Amino acid sequence: MLDTLVFATVLLPFLVAAVLLVLREQNVRKVILVATAGVLVLASLAMLRGGAFILSPAPLYDSLVTLGDFVILLVVLFVGIKRRNQIIIWLTAAQILGLVWLDFFMVEGHGTTPAFFADDLSLIMVCIISIVGSLIAVYGIGYMKEHEEHLHLAKSKQPRFFFFIVLFLGAMNGLVLANNLLWMYFFWECTTLCSFMLIGHDDTEIARKNAERALWMNVLGGTAFLFGLIILQKVAGTLSLADILARGPEFAVAGGAILIPMFLLVFAGMTKAAQAPFQSWLTGAMVAPTPVSALLHSSTMVKAGVYIIVRLAPIYAGTYLSNFIALFGAFVFLATAALAAGQSNGKKVLAYSTISNLALIIACAGINTPAAITAAILLIIFHAISKALLFLCVGAIEQKIGSRDIEDMRGLYARMPRTAIITIIGVITMMLPPFGMLMAKWMAIESAQGQFLVMIMLALGSGLTVLFWCRWAGILLATPFGKPQPEAQACSVRLPLVILAAMAVLVSLASPFVYNGLVAPVVAMYYKAAAYTTSYGNFDSGSGVFIVYPLFVLLGLGLYFAVKQSRKVTAAQISAPYMCGEQQTVDGKAGFLGPLGQHVAAASGNYYLEQFFGEAMLSKWINVVALAVLVIMLFGGAL
Amino acid sequence: MITKIVIAILALVLAPIAGALITGVDRRVTAWLQSRYGPPILQPLYDVLKLLGKEPMVTNTWQALCAYVYVVAAALSVVLLFIGSDLLLIFFVLTVGAVFLVMGALASPSPYSQVGGQRELLQMLAYEPLLILVFAAIAMVTGSFKVSAVFELSRPMLYDIPLMFIVLGYALTIKLRKSPFDISACHHAHQELVRGVYTEYSGPYLAMIEIAHWYEVILVLGFCGLFWSTSVVGMIVLVALTYLAEIIVDNVTARLTWRWMLKSAVGMGVVLTIVNMLWLYAQ
Amino acid sequence: MLGNMINKGRIKSPWVVHFDCGSCNGCDIEVLACLTPIYDIERFGIINVGNPKHADVLLVTGTVNQRNKHVLKNIYDQMPGPKAVIAIGACGCTGGVFREAYNVVGGVDKVIPVDVYVPGCPARPEAIIDGVVAALEKVKTLLGMTA
Repeated sequence: MLDTLVFATVLLPFLVAAVLLVLREQNVRKVILVATAGVLVLASLAMLRGGAFILSPAPLYDSLVTLGDFVILLVVLFVGIKRRNQIIIWLTAAQILGLVWLDFFMVEGHGTTPAFFADDLSLIMVCIISIVGSLIAVYGIGYMKEHEEHLHLAKSKQPRFFFFIVLFLGAMNGLVLANNLLWMYFFWECTTLCSFMLIGHDDTEIARKNAERALWMNVLGGTAFLFGLIILQKVAGTLSLADILARGPEFAVAGGAILIPMFLLVFAGMTKAAQAPFQSWLTGAMVAPTPVSALLHSSTMVKAGVYIIVRLAPIYAGTYLSNFIALFGAFVFLATAALAAGQSNGKKVLAYSTISNLALIIACAGINTPAAITAAILLIIFHAISKALLFLCVGAIEQKIGSRDIEDMRGLYARMPRTAIITIIGVITMMLPPFGMLMAKWMAIESAQGQFLVMIMLALGSGLTVLFWCRWAGILLATPFGKPQPEAQACSVRLPLVILAAMAVLVSLASPFVYNGLVAPVVAMYYKAAAYTTSYGNFDSGSGVFIVYPLFVLLGLGLYFAVKQSRKVTAAQISAPYMCGEQQTVDGKAGFLGPLGQHVAAASGNYYLEQFFGEAMLSKWINVVALAVLVIMLFGGAL
Repeated sequence: MITKIVIAILALVLAPIAGALITGVDRRVTAWLQSRYGPPILQPLYDVLKLLGKEPMVTNTWQALCAYVYVVAAALSVVLLFIGSDLLLIFFVLTVGAVFLVMGALASPSPYSQVGGQRELLQMLAYEPLLILVFAAIAMVTGSFKVSAVFELSRPMLYDIPLMFIVLGYALTIKLRKSPFDISACHHAHQELVRGVYTEYSGPYLAMIEIAHWYEVILVLGFCGLFWSTSVVGMIVLVALTYLAEIIVDNVTARLTWRWMLKSAVGMGVVLTIVNMLWLYAQ
Repeated sequence: MLGNMINKGRIKSPWVVHFDCGSCNGCDIEVLACLTPIYDIERFGIINVGNPKHADVLLVTGTVNQRNKHVLKNIYDQMPGPKAVIAIGACGCTGGVFREAYNVVGGVDKVIPVDVYVPGCPARPEAIIDGVVAALEKVKTLLGMTA
């Protein structure tokens, strides 16, 4: 049974991807995609029910993985040579040499280390990847059809697109389930390659350039990962994740040597999670079709980065390295929230907010108390759902109005009522109680107590977060009174939106159960203590209390009451906005009656505060500071 | 449990009345400072009663929704404070209301309410970090973010974190939109942007916002009171002195630009916090 | 009971909005004088608001002309009821000395219904306050409250 489940979540996507690559029949592709999505969802849920496990597949697969490693590296090397990118060439060459050394000279007895192991953290990740990722893949069916119509392609590139999308899901599942770090390295490189291919999918000048940047940054991370493994093998004598975690306390006491590979692995995670100074690859990835951005940002890729950092957290707990990681995370959280506040491009706001939230997760891993790790895991869950939802919404909006600029979404409710409401649900679940994201942020801030520098940066950052979300939600509603036009949307686009919106609310509602069932056991396993007790669904600890259900009930009742009151508004009670008595509405657009009887439409824009949050100006400083923190982390924390 | 429910209901009912009276006193003192006679103490109540009786008028239905959510969130945050819940949680619930107020303002195409909404966001940007820092400092002293933990202290917090009290005062001036930070909306006769973030709310919806404002007054004064948690008299004196200082500042200062507000609030907040924390560590 | 309380609020809290419809600024200065410590209309709960949507009483000074009559109408329409209009000064009441000018429509009552006329050139602050009080008396009778 277990074999079948692992097969279904990891290997099946690889096989399906291969089929999709050669298949040109559209309807069959649809059926296969939906069926695969269904299988993935069911398999991941079944796996979740089954609980923790360790699994060794046949030795043949070990050789296949080794082979796969070299194939990927050679492909990357080829790309590097073709693009004449020195960084990629040299880093890949170094990786090939390192891998040869590690694989054939250092590691003895291939196949003795179990390939897969899963605890609740891995299982949560598998669920996120399989459920959210599958929904995005299904959304891709409708989206790509329209996308290619816009581009007037002679030959559909969809087989290639879905090949990489589905492959990505398989690789991610493999990554989070891997026990043998060599296997994890293989899946890690898989995701690097997939993201490169997907970012460059539209094959425009800018897409190629951004894909190349994503590649070199991730290859840098991959190199750090590999050399981390080499040193780890030398220091610990094993590449089995479960072993290393089990011996965690012993390493923590020994300190010293283990921290260097830990630093390298965490560094690899930071590049993959697009932390400053590597944030530019993720913002550049926006050129790709929306399902790609959604996938990269919510359930895959960047989550692999934070997964490894959270995963290794128990090993470096209580060290200086950990403190520096917290500091680094908090700084990037603040810095990228500031960058997001200065953006009017909707996708860029989402991108920077992703980086910001990932940084918060990293900060939590660095704070490294049971409460902080709980916060990190909950953030991973809730961020994946809400962020995927928001990306898919922006994608749907962009296809309809032809722009991803927030200013162009003013009054969107009149044109796309359902999508606008779903977007607002997404925004609200990102920033307000009683929803999960906010609860996790609450845990993060409370657990930062005592690390005052971290606390200050978290406080400043969360103020900025409210700024950029709130104005976005607000202007969507700027519509005249009246019934909005009903909205036509492909079923494969609408369903994922509705399902994700429902999930964003319902999973938050179930957060005490998620915590008790999944998060508390894994935290207790590595930290010997769970952070919170839940009575009547309220999170309670010595340092604070978060009441989930009373809040849901009271705010829910309040909202119901407010909706009922607002339903009472009749057309007779509608008045034009106040414009000094010169108001005039032409074609449903409010404006002034100007000189000579001319209509002057009222226009307004958000404050983007360029002198404070300008991207070009801030990025430079942020990169310098982030790099400095990383260097200090290496020399002060790890060495 | 039952006492908590009783306290919650009492807070729900009494807080707005107390808030109204405090606002009335505020107007009286302001008039006195301007050598005027001023309105009756009950004037805020009359105002809201009148507004409730006005014909509803909105630019779209969202505004009505937002006004009601605002009042619900404000009331809920006061209730949470009085039943001794978590400080950060109270703050986040307060944010719900603030966010909906701005969303309602942004939902109208009126330039005044748009600019008011943006400015209100900047006010939030200025006071939110300050409040979080104040709560973090309180948690440093008590070891917990729970309000109930504050009342277990043996001496007033003001001794340990006096600078944080100044930060709190700064934050509450911005939160209550008192001069010099009446940037997004102003309650004085000298108005700017018509009525800023409130421009498009009228009649019963404006009444809801006024009621929410009363709750907020009680909430921020409650935060101030926490600093002298050991005796009721001390608490009342501290709150009264703080509010008097607020009114005087409100009357003797001119409005600042938002740049000044952001820079001074964040700069001063961070510096005072760090100084106070170092002092606390040194002890 | 709530109805009674609301009616009491209506009498005790008339918020005014002042619209200069084309006045020579004489009456405007007198209106603003009412706010000063000498007259202190806030004693009666009167607040000068800048927005018709918040106002109960519209104070109009000056003549109505062809260019601004729609503005006056718009502002009046944007006041939620119940509401009252007070025409201030000779010009506001009748058009005053400008009555026969080619571009002048006349007094305020040519465009919107006026409840109280406060004559004078300019009207004195005492007279303006008296006008507001008279408007309240009128509201009282309309509401069926005993004066």
